Amino acid sequence: MTSAERTVATTGRDLRVPFGLALIVLACVAPLFLGNYPLHAIIIALIFLLPAHGLNLLLGYTGLLSLAQAAFFGIGAYTSALLAVNFGTPFYLNFLAAGLVTGAIAAPLGIPALRLRATSFVMCTLGFVIIGQAIAKNWISLTRGDMGLSAIPKPYFALGPASFTVSGTVGFYYLVLAIAAVATVAVYLIVRSPAGRNMIAIRENETLAESVGIPTWHYKLVVFMISAAFAGLGGSLYAHYLTVVSPLTFQMYYSTTMLIIVLGGGAGTISGVVFGSLLFVGLTETLRVAPELRMIAYGFFLLGLVFWFPNGFAPLIGRFWSFLEKRK
Amino acid sequence: MFYTIIEQVVNGIVSGSVYAIVAVGMTMIFGVLRAINFAHGEYYMLGTFGAWVAIDYFDLPYPVAIVIGVVATAVIAVVVGNFVMQRIVGAPAEAGVLATLGVALILQNTVILVFGGGYKFFSGGYIEPVTLFGFTLAEQRILIIIIGLIVFVGLELMVTYSRMGKAMRAVSQNIECCAVVGIDVRHVALWTFILGAALAGLSGVLTAPVNVSVYGGMGELITFKTLPIIIMGGLGNVRGTFVAAMILGIAESLVATYVGLQFRDTVGFATLMLVLMWRPHGLFSAQARF
Repeated sequence: MTSAERTVATTGRDLRVPFGLALIVLACVAPLFLGNYPLHAIIIALIFLLPAHGLNLLLGYTGLLSLAQAAFFGIGAYTSALLAVNFGTPFYLNFLAAGLVTGAIAAPLGIPALRLRATSFVMCTLGFVIIGQAIAKNWISLTRGDMGLSAIPKPYFALGPASFTVSGTVGFYYLVLAIAAVATVAVYLIVRSPAGRNMIAIRENETLAESVGIPTWHYKLVVFMISAAFAGLGGSLYAHYLTVVSPLTFQMYYSTTMLIIVLGGGAGTISGVVFGSLLFVGLTETLRVAPELRMIAYGFFLLGLVFWFPNGFAPLIGRFWSFLEKRK
Repeated sequence: MFYTIIEQVVNGIVSGSVYAIVAVGMTMIFGVLRAINFAHGEYYMLGTFGAWVAIDYFDLPYPVAIVIGVVATAVIAVVVGNFVMQRIVGAPAEAGVLATLGVALILQNTVILVFGGGYKFFSGGYIEPVTLFGFTLAEQRILIIIIGLIVFVGLELMVTYSRMGKAMRAVSQNIECCAVVGIDVRHVALWTFILGAALAGLSGVLTAPVNVSVYGGMGELITFKTLPIIIMGGLGNVRGTFVAAMILGIAESLVATYVGLQFRDTVGFATLMLVLMWRPHGLFSAQARF
């Protein structure tokens, strides 16, 4: 045998597709063997995956570090909550409205913010969160201030005479799973498109990107709005799941969590962000009993990310994936 | 009416001095390390806790507690500086943000874990009121203003005349050339950081008798107020930061009295947002470092 034939003969089958299918099946049947509490953790992880995808588009692909996700998360949550509580609208309306309103609000916020240099931009986005919380606390006629909005109805879908209410953890799990899957596919399509390549160009060298004709300003603004919309959609799910929103929905802790998910999972990769979300949020929900230890662990993890794992888990995932491909 | 405004302005100058001592440290750290120290408020908290432990656990008098608070903060700053801050020099901007966020989480939650999350009562300090020109003020507030001025003048002198001060200016202006002329950049970065953190601790100790309640999460609010100050003052610009801190202190005081107490803590960021929209490079020249 020639060495080429021998190499081909010793390589195993490409296991990526079977592995992917196995994961999908596993995700679909998970409620059969997972109790309510692990399901709850996964639900939260999937809810946070949406703003994390948005942040990944902004930071991982376009290179803009933003702490504003929590602000748009909160705006989406309140939008959905206000519609559901005041008008009793079906879920898909609340959901879409949250995304649209958040995306629309992101435009007048993004236009002045994106003109700033990197450090000031980060501060400005942090400011959005803080101002958002202040507005939620003080615009009492709309938001009921610190008391928040409660008794948000469970998501229901109405099509003519037929209506269907999602109730129970299992039901909500499937809803969130479906939405998260669609969102991930959407992000994948965006990233693989020419627009996605332009975003990466902006991240790598904005001046050069501009010089080859990419309208960097428009891209940054649109990505900012899309990223905000993703966060708003996540907020909507959060509102319907917890059935309560309050000014505490606007907290920097959520922005930090999303940042850890993106950077820890792997900025600029999709599987990294999905993995990161499941890992971090799942872990923190499980560690709810010791909140200070959890935060200390978060802190050390951030330090580890900065100094030793600047690409997060992505390289490991990449290695696993090529292992599956070649079975070496 | 006039009297009330003056009283609020004086209160504003007091809180402005508190912010100034903290913010000046943070802006120096930025000037030298090019990193926004998100953990800066935690050193303020550590200073307060150090003094509180000294008074509550060891029954030491307040002046001794001041020293202990500052020293405790400095010791922790040495550890953090060696393991974290020195490595940020020359790293991309996100590194500083994330690393200091991590440090903030660790410091804040360790303190809560060790001492419990409840509010503690700070006994001690010169809270006897004193009447000056018809105004009644606690002695501690006057002490704060005086120390604020001493810190500012001292820093100006140090930065202009001392070797370390000149080295700090050099590092903040051009890091690469510093290596050329033989300045140990990491050494300067470490000591700038320790100085900045110690100042924050000092501010915490001095303010504790006025605030009275001490709790593990108090540093976060200080960080959120100091960030707008250093941006508006011009990152790395000590004089601009001092002025910005005073302005914020007075603005907060007036807003709290005439608009509503619940808006006081938002004044900082709200002003920052307006300033950033209007003048993206800050109120004072970012070129005038130190």
